[in-house]
Amino acid sequence: MTAYLASLATLAAIFAILAVTLNFMVGYAGIFSVAHAVFFGLGAYAGAQVALHLVPDALAACAVAALIAGGLSLCLALPALRVRGEYFVAASLGLQMMALTLFSEAKGLTGGLGGLIGIPPPRLFGFAVGALPLSLAALALILLAIAAMARGSFGRTLQSIRDAESAAEALGKNVAVAKALAVAFACAGAGVAGALFALHMQFVNVESFTLEQSVLVMAMVIVGGTGTLLGPVVGAVLLLSLPAGLAFLPFIPPTEVGAVQQIIYGLAMTLLMIFRPAGLVGDLSRGRSEA
Amino acid sequence: MDAMLVLQLLLGGLQTGAIYALTAAGFALIFGTTRVFHVAHGATFTLAGYVFVFAWNAGWHPALGVLAAVAVAVLFGIGMERFVYRPIQRHEGSFFTVFVAAFGVSIVVQNLVGMVAGRGFANVDTTLSRAVEVLPEVFLAQVFWVAIGVAVVLFVALTAFLSRTHAGVALRALAQNPDLIRAYGLSSSRLSVLTFALGSALAAPAAILMAMTTGLNEAVGNHVMLLSMAATMVGGVGSLRGAAVAGVLLGVAESLVLLVLDTQWAEAASFLVLFGFILFRPTGLFGVVAAR
Repeated sequence: MTAYLASLATLAAIFAILAVTLNFMVGYAGIFSVAHAVFFGLGAYAGAQVALHLVPDALAACAVAALIAGGLSLCLALPALRVRGEYFVAASLGLQMMALTLFSEAKGLTGGLGGLIGIPPPRLFGFAVGALPLSLAALALILLAIAAMARGSFGRTLQSIRDAESAAEALGKNVAVAKALAVAFACAGAGVAGALFALHMQFVNVESFTLEQSVLVMAMVIVGGTGTLLGPVVGAVLLLSLPAGLAFLPFIPPTEVGAVQQIIYGLAMTLLMIFRPAGLVGDLSRGRSEA
Repeated sequence: MDAMLVLQLLLGGLQTGAIYALTAAGFALIFGTTRVFHVAHGATFTLAGYVFVFAWNAGWHPALGVLAAVAVAVLFGIGMERFVYRPIQRHEGSFFTVFVAAFGVSIVVQNLVGMVAGRGFANVDTTLSRAVEVLPEVFLAQVFWVAIGVAVVLFVALTAFLSRTHAGVALRALAQNPDLIRAYGLSSSRLSVLTFALGSALAAPAAILMAMTTGLNEAVGNHVMLLSMAATMVGGVGSLRGAAVAGVLLGVAESLVLLVLDTQWAEAASFLVLFGFILFRPTGLFGVVAAR
């Protein structure tokens, strides 16, 4: 039971990293990506390969994952600089679908549908460490970084771009660089989450990086509240404990648990958008004008 | 390269393309007129298709099945407009709120259909879908001609409706300037209900055709919605002709890509086209509306 709870807490921390980094793009920079699972996947495969073939060191795995995910985030930054709104969502959907095919077909790097197995458990400077403290530490560091950025000039620049891009540009802000940096930071964060996920599960395959996963992370951000620091963490914990809670309900046949869970996710997303678009943590008056 | 194989794939692509063109025209009509990014269009498609399969299996007359499918599609579309999109737009109009709400509904529909109808493929087997050899090594079922015919007739009818009738002209005016519509004393909310009814109705024949050819599964709506969206963007937002042409092109591309690559690359090829268009020509093939 303790092991189960620890594993659930680790997953919650990993998904919280995904949610807060996505929220950095959505809530602060106004870039609505539905391709976050792609960068989660890139990080997971990169981290897994480092642990399998170089050193099983968590720091090395996370660093390589962040570099690769952050570097390839250019795929997302390019459309973000060109178009806004529905067009960007469409572009990120396209990226998500293409990446999924690549993940299942590049068998040499990703193991295809079978995935990569036997990833060694995480070590830090030669000592064995649990995945839970690692993930919590990473989450805390990323939250600190976001809090610092949100208060600093970079965060203000992003928020001004989100609210009025041409006004920000007129004030001499370099919109393209700010957007590209925001995307790179968020995707690198997703990469770190991916590496931790690979080390924790000791197995990764393409099923964890689908469009549904991207939407789930998006739902965590929205349920919690976009543009708030801790809202996405609350959303991640809530949406992850939901399946665990459902498993204890006796009247749902086990084969339908997945479907019931999805239906609850879907209903929650729709009803929240209709009745409380700013999310659970979000400030309602603020959310109305910008969520 | 084997010319007969190319011809076979081309014909298959045209058949799929006709299905995409119909759903894409519906998506484009709704998006172009009301500016609602109707992601739940795929759910309309799934519902309509499964209603037809149920009616068929229950032994209803096919015409009755078609009517039931169209009715369900129209009711679902109107329901989305009245109970999801309008309340959201009343308090704030952010496109992303609309997107997430619609995505939530598609998740619910996909899983409900999976629970009720069972997961895996459902199709109807008619004499129309039996393939016969028309040329050496080229097989064609009669449903091919039905698909092309239905797509052409409905598209011509839709174009005529939009350009010749009073309501059609009002719809086009709504796309250009909703405020002015109100100034002329027309009800923009009634017109958007009409738009959703028309656009959703177009998904029904497409879903029925797919049930008769490749078959449906509970997740098919997602794929069809993504392709309709891609076709709308590639064709150019605001242009129904663009969406229909792009729908056919994507269907043909998806099929012809099999000449050089395995089938699992087919979908990725469509999205590569979409991605390229958004990067280099966001206004699309026939676009009239600027992307920004």
